[in-house]
Amino acid sequence: MNSKTLLYVVKRIGLAILTVWVVITITFFVMRAVPGGPFMGEKAITPAAQAALEAKYGLDKPLAEQYFTYLRDIVTRFDFGPSLKQRGRTVAEIIADGMKTSVKLGVVAAFIALAVGVVLGAVAALRRNSFLDRAVMVITTAFVSMPSFIMGSLLLVLFAVRLKILPANGTTADGLILPIVTLALYPMAYITRLTRSSMLDVLGQDYIRTARAKGVSGVKIIFGHALKNSLIPVITYFGPMLAYIVTGSLVVERIFSVPGIGRAFVQSITNRDYPMVMGTTIVLACLIVVMNLVSDILYKVVDPRINLE
Amino acid sequence: MKKTLALLLALCMSLSLAACGGGSAPAPAAPAGDAEPDEPNVAASYGAMAICLASEPDSIDPALNSAVDGATLIIHLFSGLAKWAETPDGALTIAPDAAEELTEGVANDDGTVTYTYTLREGLQWSDGQPVTAADFAFSWNRAASVELAADYGYMFEVVKGYDEIWEADADGNPVNPDAKLAVEALDERTLQVTLSNDVPYWNELLAFPAYMPVREDAVADESWATKPETFVCNGPYVIESWAHDSLITMAKNPNYIDADSVVMEKLEFYLSDDSNNMLSNFQNGSWQFIDDVPTNEIPTLKETYPEQFVVAGQIGTYYVCWNINEEILPASSGLTGVEAENAKAEIRNAIALLFDRNYIVDEISQAGQVPASSFVAMGMTEPDGSEFYKNAGHYDSFSGYYDVSADAIESNYNSAVETLKKYYAFDEASQTFTDFPTLTYLYNTSDAHKAIAEYLQSALAGIGITMNLENQEWKTFLNTRKNGDFSIARNGWVADYNDPICFLDMWTTASGNNDVQYGKGAHASVAAYSLDLTPYGYDIKVENGTWAETYDVLISTIKVCSDNDTRYQLMHVAEDLLMSTGCIAPLYFYTDLYMISDSVTGFYSNPLGFKYFMYCNVEAYG
Repeated sequence: MNSKTLLYVVKRIGLAILTVWVVITITFFVMRAVPGGPFMGEKAITPAAQAALEAKYGLDKPLAEQYFTYLRDIVTRFDFGPSLKQRGRTVAEIIADGMKTSVKLGVVAAFIALAVGVVLGAVAALRRNSFLDRAVMVITTAFVSMPSFIMGSLLLVLFAVRLKILPANGTTADGLILPIVTLALYPMAYITRLTRSSMLDVLGQDYIRTARAKGVSGVKIIFGHALKNSLIPVITYFGPMLAYIVTGSLVVERIFSVPGIGRAFVQSITNRDYPMVMGTTIVLACLIVVMNLVSDILYKVVDPRINLE
Repeated sequence: MKKTLALLLALCMSLSLAACGGGSAPAPAAPAGDAEPDEPNVAASYGAMAICLASEPDSIDPALNSAVDGATLIIHLFSGLAKWAETPDGALTIAPDAAEELTEGVANDDGTVTYTYTLREGLQWSDGQPVTAADFAFSWNRAASVELAADYGYMFEVVKGYDEIWEADADGNPVNPDAKLAVEALDERTLQVTLSNDVPYWNELLAFPAYMPVREDAVADESWATKPETFVCNGPYVIESWAHDSLITMAKNPNYIDADSVVMEKLEFYLSDDSNNMLSNFQNGSWQFIDDVPTNEIPTLKETYPEQFVVAGQIGTYYVCWNINEEILPASSGLTGVEAENAKAEIRNAIALLFDRNYIVDEISQAGQVPASSFVAMGMTEPDGSEFYKNAGHYDSFSGYYDVSADAIESNYNSAVETLKKYYAFDEASQTFTDFPTLTYLYNTSDAHKAIAEYLQSALAGIGITMNLENQEWKTFLNTRKNGDFSIARNGWVADYNDPICFLDMWTTASGNNDVQYGKGAHASVAAYSLDLTPYGYDIKVENGTWAETYDVLISTIKVCSDNDTRYQLMHVAEDLLMSTGCIAPLYFYTDLYMISDSVTGFYSNPLGFKYFMYCNVEAYG
């Protein structure tokens, strides 16, 4: 890594921190502006109990003071505070629990999508206009256009209710198979199409023709020259995709009852569990920012011509 | 760099192969033998039951819980002085649990009542330490304390000392920081508690989760109730493992005094709130009990699972509430003050007659709900054993405040139209009112509430009343409704204990649940109500009083009334007054839906919705 790249990375990290700070600030104040509070329920608690709870969690302090206290605790102690809803649990604990599942689910699904997608895309490109190519295209079009809640429900009904060969809830290891497949199908189809079109593009380039003319073997052309260059758009897509697949699997988590971070995030907003909303937002924002950064750096690694400046 | 890329590709390839392999490999544990539709694939092992009530409980600390699903978890983990038990003939009764017997109270000269309980010998915590009377005294004081500020702290308001604990100055700071409940451990096994006045539901409160004991050293750290290793309890089960948001496994507690009577060895509580997922798991036999079903599946499930789909009673009412300060009279009416208020009450009561409650329960909700004609829900019983709601109202031909039978629809409609004609211009040609102000119906975002809202809208549109619909997200909705920023809103109430007062005391001026805004804003000075308690032996007679002078006084009187028969009569008077305002239009009494596998025996639930699994047995699937 040369000094220019290093400088770029440092700059990007600085920018990432700034982004996260902006996200924290906006979320903090917007969340407080939303009507309803964490201690409000169908059955109202007494004003005295409300006051006691607000004092306990520091919500009786001026908003600016709460904001700076929050920032200080995050920066100096990495302390996300207690959950206001799940009394006795800290936000860090809840996030760690949710992330354990979401990361497992997301990473496996993302790599399956990548592996299958790249292989299928490359094969389809090499066998262009063959039956295989057309079949791959039809299937991937279907997967890309089908929303995950339909795909998830279909798989659930087929494998868990009708065939009864997989569990319908994601609490056990084999229970994660269906959610992983559901999560992987869309990006897999997308990567297949991306790889195919990119590969076709590369295969038409002059240097490939030159290589062929010089008698380089087909396998070497594919793996030595074409695949690498055709992966550039896939890499651009992969970073953010991994972040979204980890954080945005709420629908899939609900369908299969998977205890992931997506569910915790949405519930925390409904509950007005302020520290929990902040904690999950920060974690998700960091994840997206980092994945984008990694993706950009990988981009440079794959194609040195790209100027990161 | 090329090497790295090659490595990456190789990894991808191998992963993809693994993935393909995984996908085509035979999936785990296919059932042996014929796989008939809806036959469970995995035989449930003897002594274990898989249950899904709801998602992760907010807390299973008995003092902090305020949810029904949390209560079910808690009654399996803790043993209070009393419990809900099923008699051999299937009836429910409140029976002693940790107490040797549920003694009668002794009246004191100052009107308070003292109960003295003896704990059974040999009670132990799950870690083997003895359960003492001091543990109960500590737990009750903790649950009622300002420091804990528990949602259900008010369940202790009947105990002497509670009011002092919560007495606050203008800034909301407690005036008596050292105040305690009048509950005392006389010795290791003797607990004495004094109530401000006797209440008929005291024994039931003793079976309520908030009254269950915890041990001071065990609960010192607030996180105690979130981890199996720190969770100390005294009930039928202990927590064996807890994967948050996923699964709580309970195992029989060998230190429970009645451990021999506990049938089910293990309970697995799956934590999910997705009713579709619950149903899938029930249908494939993974779970034997689910506490929710998708609303749109109810008609099918009733047919497909006639035995396993259960509609149980629940003490709760679904109703429409008006904002009492909403101006609904036409500008031309010229009515003011008491006259205007009486007219508005008459109008609101007339509008309540326009709703076909049978249509709502049969065609929209479809879950066996019962059309409601009174606010205090079905399931509340009088001292003589009769049902409170059947004695409500003053009509001979039907119970409650309206006739909600299917054949009364036309007469209700005609009566409503006649009443409204007194105040609004009626166009005979189109049979509609032309100057009724536009209303807005507020409800929280949900398909079920929306369907009912649309029906109500169409019912009113039939006579020319325009009612717009507005839905809000749950907490925003609660906030709007609580602040009275609505004209008419969806509402619902489920009882905490089997006594009508929990439906009636929520409408006092100062109550946090007074969504109607009785006695607030302009209504504070409306002197339109009368109260005569002289027939009941009280020197209280108010003519044209405000809400505070009548309803609030009546509720206070009920709360200190020690004669049970009179008390119930007064509660009917309170409901009469409440319903006379027309601000509450009950639609139906709630039901509790659940599905339970036909392989399960020994299950029961109580009217508060708590489910009891400890005496269940799951037969092996044939």
